[in-house]
Amino acid sequence: MEILIVFVALGILGFVFYESLPNPKFKKAIRLFNDGKFAEASEILVSIFEKHPDAPARLAECKLKQGQHSKLLNEVEALKYFNEAIEIKMRLSAKASKSNYELIEALAYYEIAQLKFKNSLISNSDENKIKELKDSLKFIDQATKTGINIEFNILSKSHFSELAGIYFEYGFKSEKNKKYETAIDQYSRTIEFASKSAESNVFYDSITRKGISKLKNNEHVELGILDEVVHAKDEYKKDFLFRLSKTLLKNNEYLDAEKIIIKHLNFSSPDVEKLKELIKAKKINDAAKKVDDINYQVDQLYEKSFPITEVKSLYEKLDLRIDEIKLVIPAITEKLVQLKPGLFNRLLAYYFDNEQYEKSISLIQEYPLFYESPELLKNLGISCYRLTAQGGLTERNYKQIISCWLTALFCDKVILKSMEETSWDDEYTFTLIDAIGSRYKQYSNLPPNVNYSSISDSNISIGATQNELLQQFELLLHQQISKESLLKTVIDFYENERDAIKKIVTIINKDILFASPYFANQFGINVPVIKELEADYKEYSNEEVLEAGLAYLIENSSSHIYKYASAKEVLTKVQKAIENENMRDLEAVITNSNKSLIEEYDSINSVFEDLVYNSFALKIEEDDENEDLIPMMEECIRFTDNKAKLKFQYSSYIADLCISKVNSDVMSNFKALSLMKKAYINSPGNVRICKNVSTLIRYNLTDFLNDKCTNEKEMLAIIDFIGKNRSKTFIANSDELKRELKTIDDALKKNGSSNEIILKKHFMDLSQKGVKIVTMIKTLNQLI
Amino acid sequence: MNNPYVILKVSQDASKGDIMKAQMISMKERKYSLQEIQVAVRQLLDPAKRLAADFMFPAKIKAKRPQKISVEIPKERINVNDIDENAFDSINK
Repeated sequence: MEILIVFVALGILGFVFYESLPNPKFKKAIRLFNDGKFAEASEILVSIFEKHPDAPARLAECKLKQGQHSKLLNEVEALKYFNEAIEIKMRLSAKASKSNYELIEALAYYEIAQLKFKNSLISNSDENKIKELKDSLKFIDQATKTGINIEFNILSKSHFSELAGIYFEYGFKSEKNKKYETAIDQYSRTIEFASKSAESNVFYDSITRKGISKLKNNEHVELGILDEVVHAKDEYKKDFLFRLSKTLLKNNEYLDAEKIIIKHLNFSSPDVEKLKELIKAKKINDAAKKVDDINYQVDQLYEKSFPITEVKSLYEKLDLRIDEIKLVIPAITEKLVQLKPGLFNRLLAYYFDNEQYEKSISLIQEYPLFYESPELLKNLGISCYRLTAQGGLTERNYKQIISCWLTALFCDKVILKSMEETSWDDEYTFTLIDAIGSRYKQYSNLPPNVNYSSISDSNISIGATQNELLQQFELLLHQQISKESLLKTVIDFYENERDAIKKIVTIINKDILFASPYFANQFGINVPVIKELEADYKEYSNEEVLEAGLAYLIENSSSHIYKYASAKEVLTKVQKAIENENMRDLEAVITNSNKSLIEEYDSINSVFEDLVYNSFALKIEEDDENEDLIPMMEECIRFTDNKAKLKFQYSSYIADLCISKVNSDVMSNFKALSLMKKAYINSPGNVRICKNVSTLIRYNLTDFLNDKCTNEKEMLAIIDFIGKNRSKTFIANSDELKRELKTIDDALKKNGSSNEIILKKHFMDLSQKGVKIVTMIKTLNQLI
Repeated sequence: MNNPYVILKVSQDASKGDIMKAQMISMKERKYSLQEIQVAVRQLLDPAKRLAADFMFPAKIKAKRPQKISVEIPKERINVNDIDENAFDSINK
């Protein structure tokens, strides 16, 4: 019994001791906390404050909860609890959990900040409200915010929103009382606070009202704020934009005012109409001033001292001025346009007089549709001729000049225009019968002294004049270009351009400008040429027409000429692949679709074989033992239907290659036979090929009998193939092979038996070799 | 090639007679070689070649003599100061 009492006592003591330890106490405190008994929990937590690391945070949480429960009924007590939670921080020991505590601390701060904000909203005056809001913001600024930054941020924005609202009202009142400077300042504060709040309406409204106040106060307003103003309350927006438009008009910035009216004040209003009317009047005034400037310069034109640079400046800005003025005073547009040719003539005359032909060329080429004017084309031709005569040009210059010269010369109307300016020719008539710019009677409204009749002493050939000019120019090129390589390039270019025009002249029976290809491309006038050529091809299917169009080709068009060019490109690519011995490129181009493409054009399809033949011939000339050519030749033969020449070239090449290599002992008889089989397949009627095949079979037979043949099976297959595909030519040209076989046969027959029996008897009991020889003899006998 | 009109100092409308006379004068002047003068004469006496020489005279495009342009400006009916800037006033509504 005593022992039992001792145990019970020890047990009670042990329990009491256990309960007094920090962990069990902390657990008890948590249980109480969870049951909402924060005061009791707090007591325990205070007792283990220093002993348990989480006790301070839990104690602070108890205070926080107590504060949260009290805040609706007793704000003072709530604040006391929140502050107690915050003050715990001062007593935190080194081993206390700081991270857990900080979150509770931040929440306590947040609760206090919320109470402060709530109280500021019920302040008895705006001034107090502002003060309290600012204090509260300061408090938030200094508070610990760990883990709840977003909540604090939202709370701050609410403060700023309240402040913005108050200051906007201030501004509004000041504005109403016409204290614009104060209002501007207050709206500025509003903008500052609103920009930190979530309140965008106040932000845009305050910007707009500030703008209005500035305008009322005659201050400058930046147009950049329009981006914000458009989001403001509609009535503020209209007020501001109307005032701004008026101010801009006052300051003669009517184009900006017009933009605002068109974009933002586009509603029906007699006041807006007044603004519009004013803008119109301002524009007319402005346009009239520009016309005055032009008039002044026109006056100056007749002064000798008026420099050419001024004429040029007036000429160059005239188009811009016309564009500006025509919308405002359309009635004078025509008069302005009429100034241009006079100024142009003045400039051109100056450039000619001063031998500034590069400038005259630029001037002409910049004149709208200059190529439609015979006068301008003529002047362009003259400029080009004279610039060439000055010498010292680059290749690019020559291209420009040649293309312009030829285009001018091939335009018959240019020569006809020339005749209008003289009277010596009145006693003559002129014929276009051999003019270089036409092949048909394609001009209407000819001058009375021009006809299409035969050439005579009194009916002068216009073609002769044009040819005379062409010759003079050609002579000039030769005289001016001393560098041989440049001369060759230039002459080649000249001839290509000239021949291209000649081609289209012979085809096109219409009055269009026969521009040289370079000229047509430079000035984008290929279309009429291409159109006429296409029409001609559709009518007559003449491929020469497509050939003529190549020089005028427009990239990626769906024209026949483009398709024809693509077909020609196939030819070029095949030639290039052969030249580079590039099998991959060759395979890429000899496709079925490309085969169909080139077969559409006789002129291309008919030359394919010759071009490929020549390409291979060049390669063979470089190296006549190049086995890599063989598969390329095979691909080309496969590709085209016209292949007789290619087959002959292929077979002959293989024969030459095999003979040479076999004779030099660099190719085995078997390999040579394998290659010759290919040659035989392509040229079974070729005597030389057949003879060589026959010889190689003999060589392979000898190798076989001497045990030198390592490809017996394949060799037999080849002989078998030739046997089954014997041509008459082969049979007629295999005498040596026949003799060889007869010799073997005779040798075998000496024993009085048929070769098969002999072989069976002598070559070992039908051993493997014996069977092979029997098979060989059988196969060979099939051949002959 | 030199301009035959320049060598012979004759106008574009020179008659055959004028050209022959000019040939004599040019020969006396000796500014150009005899060959150059003869080529120029041949060129101007051959209508096709003379037309080629005429080609080298610039042509003017059709143009009117630049004239001053008068503009009638309608009298402004409205003065900017007459516009009521408070037409859309949004503060005293």
